[in-house]
Amino acid sequence: MGALMADDDIYIGTLMDQFNLRFGASQKDAELTGGGHNEIAVLQDEFKIFRTDRTFAQSARLLGLGGLQNNRAKNRWFNLLDVLPKLGSDKAGETGDQRIVNALIANFAPGGKLLPCFMKAHDSRDSKYGPIVIVTEGDRPIFYIEKDYLTISLPMKPGGKPA
Amino acid sequence: MTTAGAMEADPGDLAPVRAGIASYYSAKVAKFGATPLGVDWSCVPTQELRFVKLLKLCDFSSPFSCNDLGCGYGALIAYLDQRHADCAIDYVGIDLSEAMLRRARRLWRNRANVSFVLGHANPRVADYSVASGIFNVQLDQPLAIWERFVAETLDQLHRTSSRGFAVNFMKAPAGGKPDRKGLYSTQPDRWVRYCADRFGSAAEVLDNYGLREYTLIVRRQPNICDDIIWQ
Repeated sequence: MGALMADDDIYIGTLMDQFNLRFGASQKDAELTGGGHNEIAVLQDEFKIFRTDRTFAQSARLLGLGGLQNNRAKNRWFNLLDVLPKLGSDKAGETGDQRIVNALIANFAPGGKLLPCFMKAHDSRDSKYGPIVIVTEGDRPIFYIEKDYLTISLPMKPGGKPA
Repeated sequence: MTTAGAMEADPGDLAPVRAGIASYYSAKVAKFGATPLGVDWSCVPTQELRFVKLLKLCDFSSPFSCNDLGCGYGALIAYLDQRHADCAIDYVGIDLSEAMLRRARRLWRNRANVSFVLGHANPRVADYSVASGIFNVQLDQPLAIWERFVAETLDQLHRTSSRGFAVNFMKAPAGGKPDRKGLYSTQPDRWVRYCADRFGSAAEVLDNYGLREYTLIVRRQPNICDDIIWQ
C-alpha cells in the first residue's frame, strides 16, 4: 500500500499519528483541544461515525484525518485507505476495511471495551503477516505507555504494486 | 494591538477586542473556506457535537426564532436541516467577520427565514440565542478585558433572548494551570455564578461529553422575563 503515496510516503507516519492522537488515550490534564478516545466514543454514540455501510476511508475524511497543509499527501492517503476494501484481514470473511470498521464499532459501542486505538504498518512481504489488515485487541503497541490498545496494522511494502 | 497597549486601554472599550476577533476569523476562513477548520473546529462531528449540546436549550415541538451569535458561515443551519427539519426556525446569524458573512450569505442565499447581520450584538429579541466557541480565542487580550468581553456578551445574549441562551467555554486545565497562550478557559462556577447574580437564572452545566469544554444553558425565569425584555 505504501506505493500509493509515491514520494509522499514520508508523511505516512505523520498521517497515522493524526489517527493516533485523535484515538489515543484521553489525557486528563491536556493542553490539546481534542479529547482522545473518549471524544471519539461520544462522537460515535451521537453521530455513528463508523457504520457498516460506510468505509473507514469515508469516516477518516469526516474526522479530518488527512492533515491540514498538504492536499496532495492528504488525497493520496485517503486514496490509500480507499484500497482497504480490496484487502483481506486476519478475520475470516472480513475485508481489511470491514475488519477495521467492525472493530471500531464494537470498541466504541456502549458496553464496548473503549480502548484507545493505535494505527501502524507492518511489512506485507513478511510471510508472518502477509498483505492483510491485522487488528489486535488488548495490544501494547507503545512499550512506554502501559495501556491496552486496539491496534490496527496496515500492510505496506516499498515501491512496486500496492499490496 | 500589543498586550501592553491593550492593558492601558479603557477596559470598557471592547472595540479593539472585537477587531482582533474579526481579523482572526477572517484569516481563518480565507485559508480554509466555509469548513469547520475555517471556524477553528477540527471536523464536522466535533462542530456538530457542540450544536447538539447548545440546542438542548430549545423546545423543537413548535416553531421558534433563534439568534446565532458568532455564526461563522452558518454551519448551524445545515445541522438544523439534518436533525430538526420538521421544526420551522426563524434564524438570524451574527458575526464580526465580514469575510465570514460573505461566505454565509453565498452558502445560504436562497434560503427563507435565514438572514445574516454584521456586528457584535443580536439585532433583535429572539426566543433563543446560541453562541458556539466565541469565548475561546482570547488572542493577546489581557484576562480582565477578555472577561469583560465575555460578561458584556452574556448580558446582551440575555437581553435578546426571551426564553434563554446557550454558550460554551473551554474547560480550564485541572489544578489551576494556565491554558495554552491565546486561549481562554475557565471552570464553570465562574460564569454560573455570574448568570445567577446578574440574571437570576440557574445555569445548567453540560459537561463530560468528550471535549475539553462545557456548555451553559441559561433559561429565563418566566416571571421576570417581560420586565427585562421589553424595557
